[in-house]
Amino acid sequence: MHVSLRGITVDFGNLRAVDKVSLEANAGEIHAVVGENGAGKSTIMSVLYGSNTDFSGKILCNGKKVSWSSPKDAIKAGIGMVHQHFMLVGNLTVLENIALGNESINQFGFIKFNTIRANILGIVSRYKIHIDLDELVDNLSVAQRQIVEIIKLLYRESMVLILDEPTAVLTPNERAIFFQSLKNFKAENKTIILITHKIDEVMDIADHVTVLRNGKLISSSQLEITNKEKISQEIVGEEIPRLNIKRGAYESKKILDVKDLIIKTNFTTKQAINFSINTGEIIGIAGVSGNGQTELVETLIGIRRASNGEINLLDKNVINANTQTRRMMGISFVPQDRQRDGLALGASVWENACITKVNDKKFSWGSFLRKKNMKAFSRSLIQEFNIKVNGPDALVRTMSGGNMQKLVVARELSSQCPLIIVENPTWGIDIGSIAFIHQKIMDIKSAGVAILLVSNELDEITSLSDGAFVMYEGTLSKRISKGKNFRELIGRHMLSGFNTYYSPTGSSPNE
Amino acid sequence: MIENFLDPEFFSSIARLTTPILLAALGGLICHRAGVFNIALEGFILLGAFMAVLGSYLGDSAFWGALSAILGGIFLAIVFSEFHLRRRGDPIVVSIAINLLGLGLSTYLLRSIFDVSGVFSHPNIHKLATINWPLLDSFWLLDLIFNDQSILFYIAILSTIAFHYFLKYHKIGLWIRVAGENQEALRSSGSNPVQVKFFALLICGIFCGLAGAQLSISNVGLFVENMSAGRGWIAVVVVLLCAGRPIPLFFLIILFGVVDSLSLRIQGLGLPQQITEMMPYIVSILVLVFVSFRRFRFSSKTHL
Ligand SMILES: Nc1ncnc2c1ncn2[C@@H]1O[C@H](COP(=O)(O)OP(=O)(O)O)[C@@H](O)[C@H]1O
Ligand SMILES: [Mg+2]
Repeated sequence: MHVSLRGITVDFGNLRAVDKVSLEANAGEIHAVVGENGAGKSTIMSVLYGSNTDFSGKILCNGKKVSWSSPKDAIKAGIGMVHQHFMLVGNLTVLENIALGNESINQFGFIKFNTIRANILGIVSRYKIHIDLDELVDNLSVAQRQIVEIIKLLYRESMVLILDEPTAVLTPNERAIFFQSLKNFKAENKTIILITHKIDEVMDIADHVTVLRNGKLISSSQLEITNKEKISQEIVGEEIPRLNIKRGAYESKKILDVKDLIIKTNFTTKQAINFSINTGEIIGIAGVSGNGQTELVETLIGIRRASNGEINLLDKNVINANTQTRRMMGISFVPQDRQRDGLALGASVWENACITKVNDKKFSWGSFLRKKNMKAFSRSLIQEFNIKVNGPDALVRTMSGGNMQKLVVARELSSQCPLIIVENPTWGIDIGSIAFIHQKIMDIKSAGVAILLVSNELDEITSLSDGAFVMYEGTLSKRISKGKNFRELIGRHMLSGFNTYYSPTGSSPNE
Repeated sequence: MIENFLDPEFFSSIARLTTPILLAALGGLICHRAGVFNIALEGFILLGAFMAVLGSYLGDSAFWGALSAILGGIFLAIVFSEFHLRRRGDPIVVSIAINLLGLGLSTYLLRSIFDVSGVFSHPNIHKLATINWPLLDSFWLLDLIFNDQSILFYIAILSTIAFHYFLKYHKIGLWIRVAGENQEALRSSGSNPVQVKFFALLICGIFCGLAGAQLSISNVGLFVENMSAGRGWIAVVVVLLCAGRPIPLFFLIILFGVVDSLSLRIQGLGLPQQITEMMPYIVSILVLVFVSFRRFRFSSKTHL
């Protein structure tokens, strides 16, 4: 189906999120829409999907003007969307989630789950997808959830697939599989609108690319007649700064020392984990997501109890301390799921910015908050981290994903703790902000902070860390030092574990 | 002494004590699952009870009584929806207002229509039909529990099972569950969460209305001011305790009924009334502690 958006404008109060943007997508084409966080990508797609009806401009499907009063109309017309933040219900099974919105029912309104199941199994085998239909969505990994979202669209026989930053949450391996499916959909003459930050992906797979910046259309052209540098510049509006590394003056000592730690995971092997981090050192933990990284992080910050072992923070064992105590003793933490674990979405920016600092004399008198100082502090964070928001009183819910992440990172990096644990800090955010957050991490490193960087992005690990470990099925590899083969070694460990390792050059794997 | 406890009245009283609570709790359960925090069941029941007497008296039959009780419940459900769903009022505030409205309205109408205060009873108030299953006559216990109960008793039991399957396998049941968990997902799938919640409130109104009818025109044929006497609150607690699942709800209410019935008997043994009346609540709290303790044990995340 050919869809075209003509002169779309969307206002949120006095903020113009989308400004007279036009866009054409053809059947059998992968149309990439790129732009920084807050560029208006999700907003313009919500117009096409009927979830935002408060706009001016026109939508045409196959040349005919259409108007939606709700997503129901758009879905009926064959438009489907996977939202940036999944629209799944955790307490329902995969089957129920897929059926939702397109229930085939008997004359009494009861859902014919058997018919639906057979139908989905047909789709699943056609595209060679593996998923357990009776599992609760709550128990699925992010990648599996995404698969559920996509099966939902296929099940509804959508001809237009809008995918809002689908790869932000995928590992390289999963991404390759995902792209293969996209190619299959394309061969079936579906229209695919792929929203992404990652230019490499655009170059890999897109046929057409549209760039948005600050709600305005910057360019829209066939891939052949543009190139990577041009697109990057159009997205950012200027050149991306290079990572600036300097070394500050600090006394070198051991900040975190993990000894014989046994974490509780779903894996059967229980191997003791040992590693340490010094001042001014960034240690990376790489791995395909779901290999126990989250469990390790949760154990370190005290959300999850360890079975055994020591976690020595500045020479004190904190294994029995709770999260608040550990934070006060000097651990700061950037969680991967900012919406669930990092922020109170219904609260304001200043409340979120100061939530970890309420014991600080500057921000409270006894049990009373010093709102004025808190707001001033938030304002300085907004400025320093270049967070796009209407000021400290705005609700966090109204911010875009990348700006939410910047807020969490800003709060945690400004904590002046000796140790900071960051988990996928650039998950789903744009290149400009990634470069910025990476620079901030380097800045605190040079100030002597010890950093544990847990990431699924190989590039992030290799460009930032001084040494790395790979996590595979709940166990940790030996330390891999920075040097030649750094990237290659990590990559191979990530995919196949450590034992069956075979090195073509004959050198030891952990050098 | 054992005869004291297990006389026939003990068993038949269980059904009598639990039916209104079960009906109201089923209504509350649908609201709970749809994500409507409705703690106004007490007010719904009370107005239902009054309307049942009014309808039965004016319409000269128990059928009109039940129907008018349902209308009373629906009326309050619409009021609830208007202020909570449309005007986005806080559900606790709206619930409190409706509880007060149910009390005030039933008392006011009692005085202005029938010109009595306190109790209204009249030969013209027709009671709900009871059903006798001859098949059960020869089974002592089944006969006591299941025979000669008001028709609403059977409706309540059948509804419990129906609700279980409705929530699990019916399209609207699925929507209700989604509305309660993730409204945005429902909206994005093309349904309107507000409509789904409105539907849930209407069901709640109907069942609470019937709960009221069961109170006023089943065993007795009279209305007493504030005759719901906390049953709506018990229903609210039970719904929360069983996390909105119909089958556990049923058994919890039976347990409650048994303890309540027992407490009346124990009172006969000379224990102070104040203590025996606490028994059903103490058992509820024990169940709550037990349930949450198990949940705690099963979760691997301990301190957050
Ligand atoms: N519901 C909303 N209310 C107010 N502002 C919003 C809302 N949704 C998005 N915005 C703002 O609109 C802009 C565009 O957001 P969005 O379309 O989500 O960006 P993108 O998807 O390109 O990252 C951002 O500045 C964001 O803060
Ligand atoms: Mg977006």
